[in-house]
Amino acid sequence: MFRLCSVPIVFVLCVLFCQQALADTSTAETGQVKAQLIASVDAVHPGDEILVGVNQRIIPHWHTYWINPGDSGLPTTIAYQLPAGATAGEIQWPTPEVITLGPVTNYGYENEVTLLSALKVPGDSVIGGVFPIKAQVKWLVCEEVCIPQKVELELVLPVVSLGVDTGKDSPLIKTARAALPVSSPWPIRLAHNEQALVLSITDTELPFVAISKARFYPAKWGQIQHSAEQPWQISGNTLALKLRAGDKPLALGENLTGVLTVTENSSGKRVTRGFSVNIAGSALAASGVTLPSEQPDLVLASALLLAFLGGVILNLMPCVFPILSIKALSLIKHAHQSPVQTRLQGLAYTLGILASFTLLGGVLIALRAGGVQIGWGFQFQSPLFVLAVAYLIFAVGLSLSGVFTIGGSVAGIGSSLAGRSGYSGSFFTGVLATIVATPCTAPFMGAALGFALTQPPVVLLAVFFCLGLGLALPYLLLSFWPFLQRSLPKPGAWMDKLKQGLAFPMYGAAVWLVWVLAQQAGINAVAVALGGMVVIAFAAWLYEFSKYTGKTAQRSGSGAAGLALALALIGGYFGVATAVPAAICLNSESATNYEPYSAARLSELRSAGKPVFINLTAAWCISCLVNEKVALSQRSVIDTFKSVGITYLKGDWTNRDAEITKILAEFGRSGVPLYVFYPAGAENSTHPVVLPQLLTPEIVTQAVRGKV
Amino acid sequence: MFLHRLFQIALVGFAFASTTVYAESVVDKAAPLFSATAADGTTVKLADLHGKTVVLEWTNHECPFVVKHYESGNIPNLQKDAVAKGIVWLQVISSAPDKQGHVSGETAQKLNAHRGATPTNTLFDDDGKIGKLYGATNTPQFFIIDPQGVLVYKGGIDSIPSADQSDIGKAENYVSAALADLAAGRKVAKSNTKPYGCSVKYAS
Repeated sequence: MFRLCSVPIVFVLCVLFCQQALADTSTAETGQVKAQLIASVDAVHPGDEILVGVNQRIIPHWHTYWINPGDSGLPTTIAYQLPAGATAGEIQWPTPEVITLGPVTNYGYENEVTLLSALKVPGDSVIGGVFPIKAQVKWLVCEEVCIPQKVELELVLPVVSLGVDTGKDSPLIKTARAALPVSSPWPIRLAHNEQALVLSITDTELPFVAISKARFYPAKWGQIQHSAEQPWQISGNTLALKLRAGDKPLALGENLTGVLTVTENSSGKRVTRGFSVNIAGSALAASGVTLPSEQPDLVLASALLLAFLGGVILNLMPCVFPILSIKALSLIKHAHQSPVQTRLQGLAYTLGILASFTLLGGVLIALRAGGVQIGWGFQFQSPLFVLAVAYLIFAVGLSLSGVFTIGGSVAGIGSSLAGRSGYSGSFFTGVLATIVATPCTAPFMGAALGFALTQPPVVLLAVFFCLGLGLALPYLLLSFWPFLQRSLPKPGAWMDKLKQGLAFPMYGAAVWLVWVLAQQAGINAVAVALGGMVVIAFAAWLYEFSKYTGKTAQRSGSGAAGLALALALIGGYFGVATAVPAAICLNSESATNYEPYSAARLSELRSAGKPVFINLTAAWCISCLVNEKVALSQRSVIDTFKSVGITYLKGDWTNRDAEITKILAEFGRSGVPLYVFYPAGAENSTHPVVLPQLLTPEIVTQAVRGKV
Repeated sequence: MFLHRLFQIALVGFAFASTTVYAESVVDKAAPLFSATAADGTTVKLADLHGKTVVLEWTNHECPFVVKHYESGNIPNLQKDAVAKGIVWLQVISSAPDKQGHVSGETAQKLNAHRGATPTNTLFDDDGKIGKLYGATNTPQFFIIDPQGVLVYKGGIDSIPSADQSDIGKAENYVSAALADLAAGRKVAKSNTKPYGCSVKYAS
């Protein structure tokens, strides 16, 4: 029969016929799986390299396994029996899926999968003869219960002369090839220690990809913990995926193998691509003993609690406290209000805060989706935002001083922006409190926000919501609890004096912001900002003054004031936007016993085994500046650094800096301050120590000495 | 200072939260304590077994991998040898009610008699708490605890993951090797191996 096939025309018919005749042996069916042995060609030439594969169609809800089945299960095996001289390669595993059953995580395939292998036809195959391929296939198929199964499949291909077409890839083979992981278009990097592994890819195009999920599938048991969450985040051009080490952690120099999948939302559809990984890693700096590496694993409940506590503490921040005080004063003044009205005021204030935090969270999500490097306090990296807040705080100060009042009544506490009567006033007080609170990264918020930034939008918003709730809590309690209201002092003239007194912290805050601006945008921006403040003060005065004149004068007065205000804002915008950013000039404010931070310098020092102290700071971060003042620039600390031989690296995050964002991320932080001490000794043998976010000279010297 | 203190308290809370979430058996660390109802109606407490070597064997008589090692006599032989040497061998069944492998105490005893299996006892872990405490994912899967209460082995039965009885002879039996190391006073050479088998049929 096959001799006839050597005639090409007959051959086509014959192949059709032969395939038909052999269909029975090339497929097999169990109760759960229909298996078929397929080949990329209909006939072979001597010496060809072809693809063969076993296609499994699996009934719904059941699955077979990947090369690493995960926490349980068994990979499918194929034993090819081939004519002498022929060889079959390893199975080319398609990108698997995660299948979970309670705490058990498996990797495998549902519905359909084709396991391809390359097959080499010996060069001495006889043309006109046949090339039989036999495969013994064993698999474990599971739903909840598991059944081991075994089938024998056979496919016989004619051997034809070189000129004869052997046919095209079958659709099954094409689909199977498309499902294989490919080599990554981006370099993949790995850093790891005994507890954790961080896989990262960097590419300038990455921020433009709408990535909705990333996951790593280890090819070997033990390298990672299968059931652990794999938190990931994109900062700048880098996508980082964190894995928890498994029962057999990777040794240094040992390769991590497997598949990294990235799911992107492309025009409404989720497309997952698999990239093969086979790389050795470098040592991961953060040890599992220090807390930051634990923080990304921070359970949601803890994050929400911390965010809430952080919010409560924000009330004590120098710029927030006056605003809260004003609200409290207004409560005293409005003691005649019914409890219901008071409560509604409290609710409006809370609503203002929550709305602002939701908005901020939304902006963060949008920026993150756009791939911008962000961390908490990100808004303060924009000079324009700093200027706007400086103006706002200055205006609030003027209002507290009584230079102008918004609203008709001269008398009464409703004489400032924050004190505007009515529910909208309360709402905007909440907004104001949020805006001025943002630069103060209270210790609690670092962890909670670092966690939030790596999470899906819903979780991020939940964390922000709790933060807002915390910020709103004191006033909310006050407005809901008549007992607390009664314990407030009686209203009187002292309230006006206090109000005026509270203007000064606001002026102070404005001065600080102008100083931040100077760091970011240079000395000219300061002139613009200060000029703008004079114009604002003038506008305020004009507005207030014209209020007591006739209708026409009042209107023209308001108009002139509005014009002046617009002038300040527009002038500020152009003045600052065009200002040349000054070179980082933090150098001038304390003893210059440090070098600027760079990743290259750090790794140089570390590979030399030298002790390094890192301080990551920003001009707009109050706690950073306080720590530098009370601890890091103290004589005892400077002397200790010197005697221990520490190189002190300082990273300034005032303006965005990708390198610093990166090291912050390595320690699970999304904002400054961060203090890390790397003890002397070989890079692999020592673990960095993370210091608390509130420093004293003793904390620093003990940390540094304790480890040396 | 107040902030600092609060911060510390929060961190402690943190550490606690993470350990409870990821509580797991770690080789060379104290084995997590538990108490469970046994097939003979008694309550077995790990703490009471101090001074004895304890083998925990996660099992599910309907799982083909368990069947492989019972029908071949592999596990029953291990049990017989171990129990003869004074080792406490406890089967643990973490199958939730109405899941595969869930049995009554009486059935468990009958099954063992039928299979020629002679473990010291069979423990029921219907709610999966012990299984999750130990991070048991497979049947069969083994944990060996030394007389001091330290976990010295966790992993599979042998080196060839398959459902074929014919592979047993070719495979390296990790459990008997670990027990031999322990008896000889050596450190267990392969103390953390890859388990293979069916998933443990937890309720969730």
